[in-house]
Amino acid sequence: MGELLRRYWHPVAGAAEFRQQSVKAVRVLGEDLVLYRDKGGNYGLVDQHCPHRRADLTYGFVEERGLRCNYHGWLFDHTGRCLHQPFEETRHPAGRFKDKVRIKAYQVQEKAGLVWVYLGPAPAPLLPDWDRYYSRGYKQIAISEIPCNWFQCQENSIDPVHFEWLHDNWSRVLRGEDGPRAPAHQRLGFDEFDYGFVYRRIREDTTEDHELWTTGRVCLWPNCLYTGHFEWRVPIDDTRTLSVGWFIDELPGDAPFEQDVIPCWYAPVRDERTGRWIDTHVMNQDFIAWVGQGVIADRTKEHLGESDRGVILIRKRLLEDMAAVAAGRDPKGAIRDPGANHSVHLPIIGGLNRPAAKAGPPPFPFLAGQPEEVAKEFEQAWRNCAAAASEELTTGG
Amino acid sequence: MAETATGHTRTAGEAAEAQAYGLTPDDLRNWASFSPIEIYWALKHDVTPAAARRWAREGVRICDTVRAIALGMNPEEVRLWADAGFAPSDAVEAKEMGVPLEVALAWREAGFILPDAALLIRDGWTLEEAVKARYEGIADEHWYPSRSSTGTSSTS
Repeated sequence: MGELLRRYWHPVAGAAEFRQQSVKAVRVLGEDLVLYRDKGGNYGLVDQHCPHRRADLTYGFVEERGLRCNYHGWLFDHTGRCLHQPFEETRHPAGRFKDKVRIKAYQVQEKAGLVWVYLGPAPAPLLPDWDRYYSRGYKQIAISEIPCNWFQCQENSIDPVHFEWLHDNWSRVLRGEDGPRAPAHQRLGFDEFDYGFVYRRIREDTTEDHELWTTGRVCLWPNCLYTGHFEWRVPIDDTRTLSVGWFIDELPGDAPFEQDVIPCWYAPVRDERTGRWIDTHVMNQDFIAWVGQGVIADRTKEHLGESDRGVILIRKRLLEDMAAVAAGRDPKGAIRDPGANHSVHLPIIGGLNRPAAKAGPPPFPFLAGQPEEVAKEFEQAWRNCAAAASEELTTGG
Repeated sequence: MAETATGHTRTAGEAAEAQAYGLTPDDLRNWASFSPIEIYWALKHDVTPAAARRWAREGVRICDTVRAIALGMNPEEVRLWADAGFAPSDAVEAKEMGVPLEVALAWREAGFILPDAALLIRDGWTLEEAVKARYEGIADEHWYPSRSSTGTSSTS
């Protein structure tokens, strides 16, 4: 499984985080690493421990080029080369010991306000350039750590029926509502496309003409859900998952909107007051289901039925992709043609340029704990755009 | 809503999807009743509109049509499975995984949907083992299929 996942880029942090700090410990795919951005603007992802005496490079400091260990000053660049060994070079200027030493280093890129890492063999595939990144709107990134295996999180990405129960009906119960239940699912369908699978549904209140059926929603391969926003499930290791959400809120009007920095915040998953998982927001409800399945869900104790066709589909495909990688082939969704990696389309209900909410800036529905400054910044952006649109209407501009 | 020459209407969202896939008005006309992602996938895999319609009459969507054609199936094979109450996609899955109809019926009788059964069979489970693992401790004995029923061999 790890060999397969190492064939893809994974988001591990928000670029905005590197405005406040330059070095961050990250654990991804079971490896303890240090992510940094040097003064020259280069990102690096290197082993947490200096190859000299194993000191923790999380406490290293960045320079114009690279990360320097705080123990004896060895300096490494983002490719893993050792650039400087102060005392060695003083004593043996011609020794070139530094040329014999490397630190484990992986590739890093920044895109869409996220910092992405690639831990697989060269040549790396291209970092996908999805069309949604270019939609006009207020963007934000929210990250949570979920104490369970990533794949049970991803199985949720192709499980349409859970929405009816975990989100719609349960939310009604949590709100104390006694009214009718949510429209029930009647039919499910699944389509494959280049970058994953589309799941389609017909509910009591929809027909085959509805976009829930004609367009559907995307289980983005191998570890993401895309419904207009993205939810990556990045394995920290076998028992923990980094949930990385990338969200966009449409804004009124059509005047250009520039967002200098896409804010990144960390969403709590547990209610500190009660010790229970937070259940008030959509993704928090998902988290409850995932962790409830166990740290690594025991599939031998499941009883799969018709609602699980999508889950079975991706399990099978995952096994096939693991075999493909073992045989030296590329797995599904790897993009290698630069010409095909510009604003790559993903199916989206309602299109890429959806109208903004008419009633005002809507509250953030996906995760609890949105910082007040992010909510305020969105609200201000929304009101500025609404005012500009209104002025344009008044002046006929 | 936009109406094609054949009277099939497409929502604005579908039209946007079609545009995003680079589909032409001719594509949409020729592939009326298919969704943009299906048309895209069919064109990518050289499935003709006539072939797609032939398979669609048996309830097979484009992504399964592509698989079925690659497996050398014909639409009539799907009908056999549909007559036995299986989803059209099950017929393609069964062919790909080498599960005969009578075996699929036995596993379904025991409560396994076809894709689940096919994976278990591929992994070497007998029906008897799978049933025992699935129901032991949680179901009455009447759930257990007869030990002499079809599909208890290791090739089931």
